[in-house]
Amino acid sequence: MKVEYVTPFVSASSSVIHTLIGLSAERGKLSARPQLFTSQQVNIVCGITGEIEGQVIYGMSMVTAKKMASKMLGGQPVPEFDQLAASAIAELGNMISGSSSNQLFQSGFKTDITPPTIVKGPNISMSNFDIPTLVIPLNVPEVGELEIAVSLRQRQKQAA
Amino acid sequence: MAKRILITDDALFMRVTLKNILTSNGYEVVGEAENGTQAVKLYEELKPDLVTMDITMPEMDGLEALKQIKAADANAKVVMCTAMGQKNMVVEAIQSGAKDFIVKPFQPDRVLEAVGKLLAA
Repeated sequence: MKVEYVTPFVSASSSVIHTLIGLSAERGKLSARPQLFTSQQVNIVCGITGEIEGQVIYGMSMVTAKKMASKMLGGQPVPEFDQLAASAIAELGNMISGSSSNQLFQSGFKTDITPPTIVKGPNISMSNFDIPTLVIPLNVPEVGELEIAVSLRQRQKQAA
Repeated sequence: MAKRILITDDALFMRVTLKNILTSNGYEVVGEAENGTQAVKLYEELKPDLVTMDITMPEMDGLEALKQIKAADANAKVVMCTAMGQKNMVVEAIQSGAKDFIVKPFQPDRVLEAVGKLLAA
């Protein structure tokens, strides 16, 4: 997979998080996985369609998800990962994907995003695409680590 | 009388956030739609002064809902409020009759500025 597909997700994550909760995220080391796989407790799965297609998973621990939701809700305590907290986390994924899609458009790739899905529970592997995955950890102060797994490819020509 | 607003977004978090911003600034949120189909139906029932409209939603997306609302009421004031800020989407929305286009994530002031400008007229 091309690194140029990943770059927009890294910069969009930092800028979206900064706008939402006013904190500057620090990017960790890029790594590769042969498949789209997550071992995180809370995962937001976003589909990307168009000239580049595939999936992006934003994964984090339950503790991080609650802290992030609380920050997004203006500091309101989030003792349980309820419907509102899940919605905040899903919307975070939606905003990062949307913002990345805007950047991809500026680089000449027209894409759209699908509504986000939250998947809870570790060790989830997505096998609908056989595309290698690039993973970027993002450390958000006061919140924790967000892991972004990007699995995208240029659209294949449809068979007639 | 407070101006009446219909919020459209599939995310509960976004509906709560928008509602807080609007109600704490003197607007009345008369309805909340979770997709385009609900928005079209609620627009007809509630006849709000303004609609906020997400684009990426299940069932019917916000661009289609915008077109149907404008077809039913040419004077409808619809403000798009979405994570998709691509130029082609903005152009399509404005050509379809949207009055403003707010890209998420936004600052509360951006929403209040757009809504205030449209409802002052």
